[in-house]
Amino acid sequence: MLDVALASLIEDMIDKAGSEGVVEFWQRVGDNLASRMGKEGYLGWTSFNVAVREGRTAFSIEGEVMPLTDMAITDVDRDIVGYLYAMRQCCYVPTILRTRFSVGQMSPADVAVASEYNENVHDIAVCNFCVFHERFREEIAKNIFVSGNPLQCYLLATKGWRGETKISSKNLEKINISEQHVRALLRNYECVYGLVMRGAHLKGDL
Amino acid sequence: MTSTEVRLPESNPFVEIATHLFLEDLAAKVGVAGLNNYLVGLAKHLASAMPEEEYADWPEFLAALRDGQSILATFEEVRPVTDRCMASPRSPFERGWREYAKRVGAFAPVHREAAEYYNAKVRPIAVTSLHIVLHTFRESAAARIRVGGKPVRYEPLASVWVDGEKAVPPNDRLNPLLKRAGISRTRLGMLLRNHADVWLLEPA
Repeated sequence: MLDVALASLIEDMIDKAGSEGVVEFWQRVGDNLASRMGKEGYLGWTSFNVAVREGRTAFSIEGEVMPLTDMAITDVDRDIVGYLYAMRQCCYVPTILRTRFSVGQMSPADVAVASEYNENVHDIAVCNFCVFHERFREEIAKNIFVSGNPLQCYLLATKGWRGETKISSKNLEKINISEQHVRALLRNYECVYGLVMRGAHLKGDL
Repeated sequence: MTSTEVRLPESNPFVEIATHLFLEDLAAKVGVAGLNNYLVGLAKHLASAMPEEEYADWPEFLAALRDGQSILATFEEVRPVTDRCMASPRSPFERGWREYAKRVGAFAPVHREAAEYYNAKVRPIAVTSLHIVLHTFRESAAARIRVGGKPVRYEPLASVWVDGEKAVPPNDRLNPLLKRAGISRTRLGMLLRNHADVWLLEPA
């Protein structure tokens, strides 16, 4: 109920604070939530990926996350420094459906916030909630340690409710994953991101 | 179409948690009174965004409530106990709260503080801030419904939060409400064992 109420109020929020104000607000909320999640440590990627699959990590708060263990991210020495992770359903889709069946349709303000973010921060948002999402993941990654190293999150691709897609060429280049691979993943998943050991020497850094 | 087919899909609790954090962030800026005003506005805005309804008579309205086809039954299951007394088995905020408690920790104190403010200023029926949304929404939504040409009035009788804490109006206020709802105090107690809210709907 609260989700639908808030979705229908975004327009009012834009009137008061502008689209950029709503983006800042969502990002601050992402920071706040991440700061309350606490730290986690794992012996290595295997134990971390099992924890993700079983829904035990901070990332699991978003819903069911699949570790794509066949899609490793390697550094310049070809050592594995991360993996891709994906969600079958965007966690905002239920709210979009609930709004459709209670209020009638999503406010156009949803697109306005996403557009503001795409133009000025990172061209990856398909709805206003992506703004919160990306910041939240970036922040919690800092508090999760795999083999003693904190993680870094790269949001790679998103698929909206109407089928529109966004792919971050900037982040794909960084972790050296081809766009075709990610595009293929979007047939089955609606949100794809990479988790990498912070400070790893990635091919994209060269 | 069966009643289960018209029910809304469940929300993702993560979105609800994010919304709670959003409200906490807001409270840090505008204070408890400001949060209360915001939640009242939020609920009124939601109700006003939903379509108005009309029913030929009270039995038709009760059937719509029971089948989940009225705006009052959009976010929660409604079980009519008498013609006027309604009971909601589960709070629409339960999943969000449980996930918050599991993943984030104890609910921030500001939610209770906002409820205390609402109890003092509006009506003594809230345990947490989310009850402000719930009661305001039901009141505003009821006013958008016409049964036999007359608008509907909402009054809460009792609320129970997920942890079992109850909010019931003082006796001088509760007794006339029970009479209008057509239930006894004992019956109210029985309903509160396994329902989240008991409320009154009547022609205005």
